[in-house]
Amino acid sequence: MIERRRRKRTDDEMAINITPLLDIVFILLIFFIVTTSFIKEFGVQMSRPSNSPVQEQKRTEAIVVRIDEADVVWVGDRPVEIDAVRANIESALAVKPEAPVVVVADRVAAAGLTVRVVDQARVAGADKVSLAAPEQRE
Amino acid sequence: MNMGLRHRRGAEEDEEISLTPMLDIVFIMLIFFIVTTSFVKEPGIDPMRPQADTAELKQRGNILIALSMADSVWMNKQSVKMTDVEQMVESAVAENPESSVVIIADERASTGVLIDIMDSVRRAGVVNLSVAATPAQ
Repeated sequence: MIERRRRKRTDDEMAINITPLLDIVFILLIFFIVTTSFIKEFGVQMSRPSNSPVQEQKRTEAIVVRIDEADVVWVGDRPVEIDAVRANIESALAVKPEAPVVVVADRVAAAGLTVRVVDQARVAGADKVSLAAPEQRE
Repeated sequence: MNMGLRHRRGAEEDEEISLTPMLDIVFIMLIFFIVTTSFVKEPGIDPMRPQADTAELKQRGNILIALSMADSVWMNKQSVKMTDVEQMVESAVAENPESSVVIIADERASTGVLIDIMDSVRRAGVVNLSVAATPAQ
Protein backbone atom coordinates (compact mmCIF):
# COMPACT_ATOMS: atom_id res chain seq x y z
CA MET A 1 0.00 0.00 0.00
CA ILE A 2 2.81 2.36 0.86
CA GLU A 3 4.40 1.64 -2.42
CA ARG A 4 1.25 2.46 -4.28
CA ARG A 5 0.86 5.80 -2.54
CA ARG A 6 4.37 6.82 -3.45
CA ARG A 7 3.77 6.00 -7.07
CA LYS A 8 0.75 8.21 -7.07
CA ARG A 9 2.76 11.06 -5.57
CA THR A 10 5.44 10.97 -8.26
CA ASP A 11 2.71 10.86 -10.92
CA ASP A 12 1.25 14.07 -9.61
CA GLU A 13 4.59 15.81 -9.61
CA MET A 14 5.31 14.78 -13.12
CA ALA A 15 2.24 16.55 -14.55
CA ILE A 16 3.44 19.74 -16.25
CA ASN A 17 1.79 22.91 -15.08
CA ILE A 18 0.20 24.35 -18.19
CA THR A 19 -1.21 27.52 -16.63
CA PRO A 20 1.60 29.88 -17.85
CA LEU A 21 1.34 28.37 -21.32
CA LEU A 22 -2.38 29.02 -21.35
CA ASP A 23 -1.79 32.61 -20.23
CA ILE A 24 0.62 33.27 -23.07
CA VAL A 25 -1.60 31.59 -25.63
CA PHE A 26 -4.58 33.66 -24.54
CA ILE A 27 -2.60 36.88 -24.71
CA LEU A 28 -1.39 35.98 -28.21
CA LEU A 29 -4.94 35.10 -29.21
CA ILE A 30 -6.31 38.41 -27.97
CA PHE A 31 -3.49 40.31 -29.68
CA PHE A 32 -4.21 38.70 -33.03
CA ILE A 33 -7.98 39.12 -32.68
CA VAL A 34 -7.56 42.82 -31.98
CA THR A 35 -5.03 43.53 -34.73
CA THR A 36 -6.74 41.53 -37.48
CA SER A 37 -8.44 43.77 -39.99
CA PHE A 38 -10.48 42.12 -42.66
CA ILE A 39 -10.10 44.78 -45.30
CA LYS A 40 -11.53 43.73 -48.61
CA GLU A 41 -10.64 46.03 -51.41
CA PHE A 42 -12.07 45.62 -54.89
CA GLY A 43 -9.96 46.91 -57.72
CA VAL A 44 -9.33 47.06 -61.43
CA GLN A 45 -5.95 45.87 -62.60
CA MET A 46 -4.03 48.63 -64.34
CA SER A 47 -0.75 48.76 -66.14
CA ARG A 48 1.44 51.49 -67.46
CA PRO A 49 3.22 50.87 -70.74
CA SER A 50 6.96 51.01 -70.42
CA ASN A 51 8.70 53.70 -72.40
CA SER A 52 10.81 51.37 -74.49
CA PRO A 53 11.03 51.94 -78.26
CA VAL A 54 9.39 48.59 -78.99
CA GLN A 55 6.26 49.67 -77.17
CA GLU A 56 6.37 52.98 -78.95
CA GLN A 57 6.33 51.24 -82.31
CA LYS A 58 3.40 49.04 -81.31
CA ARG A 59 1.43 52.07 -80.39
CA THR A 60 0.61 52.70 -84.02
CA GLU A 61 -1.30 49.42 -84.17
CA ALA A 62 -3.03 49.96 -80.87
CA ILE A 63 -6.60 51.07 -80.35
CA VAL A 64 -6.19 54.48 -78.78
CA VAL A 65 -8.88 55.85 -76.52
CA ARG A 66 -8.28 59.47 -75.61
CA ILE A 67 -9.78 61.39 -72.73
CA ASP A 68 -9.34 65.13 -73.15
CA GLU A 69 -9.22 67.90 -70.56
CA ALA A 70 -13.00 68.42 -70.78
CA ASP A 71 -13.67 64.75 -69.87
CA VAL A 72 -14.74 63.87 -73.40
CA VAL A 73 -13.85 60.35 -74.50
CA TRP A 74 -12.52 59.85 -78.02
CA VAL A 75 -12.28 56.41 -79.60
CA GLY A 76 -10.13 56.77 -82.68
CA ASP A 77 -11.09 60.26 -83.83
CA ARG A 78 -14.74 60.29 -82.80
CA PRO A 79 -16.10 61.65 -79.53
CA VAL A 80 -18.29 59.04 -77.80
CA GLU A 81 -20.46 58.88 -74.70
CA ILE A 82 -19.13 56.83 -71.80
CA ASP A 83 -21.93 54.25 -72.31
CA ALA A 84 -20.92 53.81 -75.95
CA VAL A 85 -17.22 53.30 -75.23
CA ARG A 86 -17.61 49.56 -74.81
CA ALA A 87 -19.45 49.06 -78.12
CA ASN A 88 -16.92 51.23 -79.95
CA ILE A 89 -13.95 49.31 -78.58
CA GLU A 90 -15.71 46.04 -79.37
CA SER A 91 -16.10 47.00 -83.01
CA ALA A 92 -12.50 48.23 -83.16
CA LEU A 93 -11.36 44.92 -81.68
CA ALA A 94 -13.38 43.03 -84.28
CA VAL A 95 -11.20 44.63 -86.96
CA LYS A 96 -7.91 44.19 -85.08
CA PRO A 97 -8.43 41.31 -82.61
CA GLU A 98 -4.87 41.28 -81.25
CA ALA A 99 -4.49 45.01 -80.83
CA PRO A 100 -3.74 46.35 -77.37
CA VAL A 101 -5.93 49.13 -76.04
CA VAL A 102 -4.16 52.25 -74.84
CA VAL A 103 -6.07 54.79 -72.81
CA VAL A 104 -4.44 58.19 -73.15
CA ALA A 105 -5.86 60.43 -70.48
CA ASP A 106 -5.21 64.11 -70.07
CA ARG A 107 -3.68 65.10 -66.76
CA VAL A 108 -6.72 67.07 -65.65
CA ALA A 109 -9.29 64.46 -66.66
CA ALA A 110 -11.26 62.91 -63.79
CA ALA A 111 -9.67 59.75 -62.41
CA GLY A 112 -13.11 58.14 -62.08
CA LEU A 113 -13.71 58.52 -65.81
CA THR A 114 -10.31 57.02 -66.61
CA VAL A 115 -11.00 54.01 -64.41
CA ARG A 116 -14.37 53.54 -66.06
CA VAL A 117 -12.92 53.71 -69.56
CA VAL A 118 -10.25 51.12 -68.67
CA ASP A 119 -12.99 48.98 -67.12
CA GLN A 120 -15.20 49.27 -70.22
CA ALA A 121 -12.26 48.33 -72.44
CA ARG A 122 -11.76 45.19 -70.37
CA VAL A 123 -15.46 44.38 -70.59
CA ALA A 124 -15.19 44.77 -74.36
CA GLY A 125 -12.68 41.94 -74.33
CA ALA A 126 -9.33 43.67 -74.58
CA ASP A 127 -6.60 41.61 -72.93
CA LYS A 128 -4.07 44.35 -72.62
CA VAL A 129 -5.31 47.69 -71.47
CA SER A 130 -2.72 50.21 -70.46
CA LEU A 131 -2.91 53.73 -69.25
CA ALA A 132 -0.71 56.36 -70.79
CA ALA A 133 -0.19 60.03 -70.27
CA PRO A 134 -0.18 62.26 -73.34
CA GLU A 135 3.17 63.51 -74.49
CA GLN A 136 4.21 66.62 -72.64
CA ARG A 137 3.88 69.72 -74.71
CA GLU A 138 6.83 72.01 -74.27
CA MET B 1 -10.69 1.85 5.09
CA ASN B 2 -8.61 1.06 2.18
CA MET B 3 -11.67 0.99 -0.02
CA GLY B 4 -12.91 4.32 1.33
CA LEU B 5 -9.67 6.11 0.60
CA ARG B 6 -9.50 4.90 -2.89
CA HIS B 7 -13.06 6.00 -3.50
CA ARG B 8 -12.37 9.56 -2.39
CA ARG B 9 -9.40 9.82 -4.59
CA GLY B 10 -11.41 8.66 -7.61
CA ALA B 11 -14.09 11.28 -7.01
CA GLU B 12 -11.47 14.05 -6.80
CA GLU B 13 -10.02 13.10 -10.14
CA ASP B 14 -13.45 13.20 -11.75
CA GLU B 15 -14.02 16.72 -10.55
CA GLU B 16 -11.01 18.10 -12.41
CA ILE B 17 -12.01 19.71 -15.72
CA SER B 18 -10.09 18.43 -18.68
CA LEU B 19 -8.41 21.39 -20.40
CA THR B 20 -7.31 19.51 -23.48
CA PRO B 21 -10.31 20.24 -25.79
CA MET B 22 -10.28 23.90 -24.83
CA LEU B 23 -6.58 24.12 -25.51
CA ASP B 24 -7.15 22.50 -28.91
CA ILE B 25 -9.75 25.09 -29.83
CA VAL B 26 -7.67 27.98 -28.53
CA PHE B 27 -4.68 26.84 -30.56
CA ILE B 28 -6.76 26.46 -33.69
CA MET B 29 -8.16 29.98 -33.23
CA LEU B 30 -4.66 31.29 -32.62
CA ILE B 31 -3.32 29.71 -35.78
CA PHE B 32 -6.32 31.00 -37.76
CA PHE B 33 -5.72 34.56 -36.62
CA ILE B 34 -1.97 34.37 -37.19
CA VAL B 35 -2.52 33.15 -40.74
CA THR B 36 -5.27 35.62 -41.66
CA THR B 37 -3.68 38.66 -40.10
CA SER B 38 -2.37 41.06 -42.69
CA PHE B 39 -1.19 44.23 -41.19
CA VAL B 40 -2.98 46.59 -43.50
CA LYS B 41 -2.15 50.20 -42.91
CA GLU B 42 -5.23 52.18 -43.62
CA PRO B 43 -4.68 55.30 -45.69
CA GLY B 44 -6.79 57.48 -43.42
CA ILE B 45 -9.38 58.80 -45.85
CA ASP B 46 -12.23 57.10 -47.65
CA PRO B 47 -12.55 58.51 -51.16
CA MET B 48 -15.52 57.94 -53.45
CA ARG B 49 -14.55 55.01 -55.61
CA PRO B 50 -15.62 54.82 -59.24
CA GLN B 51 -17.86 51.98 -60.36
CA ALA B 52 -16.43 49.24 -62.53
CA ASP B 53 -17.78 46.01 -64.00
CA THR B 54 -14.46 44.17 -63.90
CA ALA B 55 -13.62 45.03 -60.29
CA GLU B 56 -12.36 41.97 -58.50
CA LEU B 57 -11.39 41.24 -54.94
CA LYS B 58 -7.75 42.00 -54.27
CA GLN B 59 -6.68 39.30 -51.88
CA ARG B 60 -3.23 40.56 -51.09
CA GLY B 61 -3.77 44.21 -51.62
CA ASN B 62 -2.30 45.49 -48.42
CA ILE B 63 -0.45 48.61 -49.44
CA LEU B 64 -3.17 51.18 -49.76
CA ILE B 65 -2.59 54.62 -51.24
CA ALA B 66 -5.51 57.02 -51.24
CA LEU B 67 -5.93 59.98 -53.53
CA SER B 68 -8.45 62.56 -52.37
CA MET B 69 -10.64 64.72 -54.59
CA ALA B 70 -8.28 67.64 -53.91
CA ASP B 71 -5.38 65.55 -55.33
CA SER B 72 -3.65 65.03 -51.99
CA VAL B 73 -2.02 61.65 -51.43
CA TRP B 74 -2.71 59.75 -48.21
CA MET B 75 -0.84 56.77 -46.87
CA ASN B 76 -0.71 55.26 -43.43
CA LYS B 77 -3.17 57.76 -41.95
CA GLN B 78 -1.20 60.82 -42.99
CA SER B 79 -0.96 63.11 -45.95
CA VAL B 80 2.26 62.45 -47.81
CA LYS B 81 4.14 64.32 -50.47
CA MET B 82 4.30 62.93 -53.99
CA THR B 83 8.08 62.58 -53.69
CA ASP B 84 7.81 60.41 -50.57
CA VAL B 85 5.43 57.85 -52.07
CA GLU B 86 8.14 55.84 -53.79
CA GLN B 87 10.21 55.50 -50.65
CA MET B 88 7.18 54.61 -48.49
CA VAL B 89 6.05 51.91 -50.90
CA GLU B 90 9.60 50.56 -50.99
CA SER B 91 9.76 50.18 -47.23
CA ALA B 92 6.27 48.62 -47.16
CA VAL B 93 7.33 46.06 -49.76
CA ALA B 94 10.48 45.30 -47.79
CA GLU B 95 8.29 44.45 -44.80
CA ASN B 96 5.98 42.22 -46.80
CA PRO B 97 7.40 41.21 -50.18
CA GLU B 98 4.23 39.49 -51.40
CA SER B 99 2.03 42.51 -51.08
CA SER B 100 0.40 44.35 -53.93
CA VAL B 101 -0.65 47.96 -54.18
CA VAL B 102 -4.19 49.26 -54.40
CA ILE B 103 -4.62 52.94 -55.22
CA ILE B 104 -7.92 54.28 -53.91
CA ALA B 105 -8.48 57.26 -56.14
CA ASP B 106 -11.43 59.57 -55.79
CA GLU B 107 -13.67 59.83 -58.83
CA ARG B 108 -13.00 63.55 -59.04
CA ALA B 109 -9.22 63.38 -58.59
CA SER B 110 -7.16 64.19 -61.65
CA THR B 111 -5.71 61.44 -63.79
CA GLY B 112 -2.30 63.10 -63.91
CA VAL B 113 -1.70 62.59 -60.20
CA LEU B 114 -2.99 59.02 -60.47
CA ILE B 115 -0.46 58.33 -63.23
CA ASP B 116 2.30 59.93 -61.12
CA ILE B 117 1.45 57.59 -58.22
CA MET B 118 1.41 54.59 -60.56
CA ASP B 119 4.86 55.55 -61.84
CA SER B 120 6.28 55.93 -58.33
CA VAL B 121 4.83 52.55 -57.36
CA ARG B 122 6.41 50.97 -60.40
CA ARG B 123 9.74 52.61 -59.66
CA ALA B 124 9.47 51.12 -56.16
CA GLY B 125 9.39 47.70 -57.81
CA VAL B 126 5.75 46.69 -57.48
CA VAL B 127 4.20 45.25 -60.64
CA ASN B 128 0.92 44.12 -59.16
CA LEU B 129 -1.03 47.34 -59.14
CA SER B 130 -4.72 48.06 -59.22
CA VAL B 131 -7.08 50.96 -58.76
CA ALA B 132 -9.92 50.53 -56.31
CA ALA B 133 -13.47 50.48 -57.61
CA THR B 134 -16.87 49.43 -56.40
CA PRO B 135 -18.16 46.42 -58.28
CA ALA B 136 -21.30 47.08 -60.30
CA GLN B 137 -24.44 45.32 -59.14
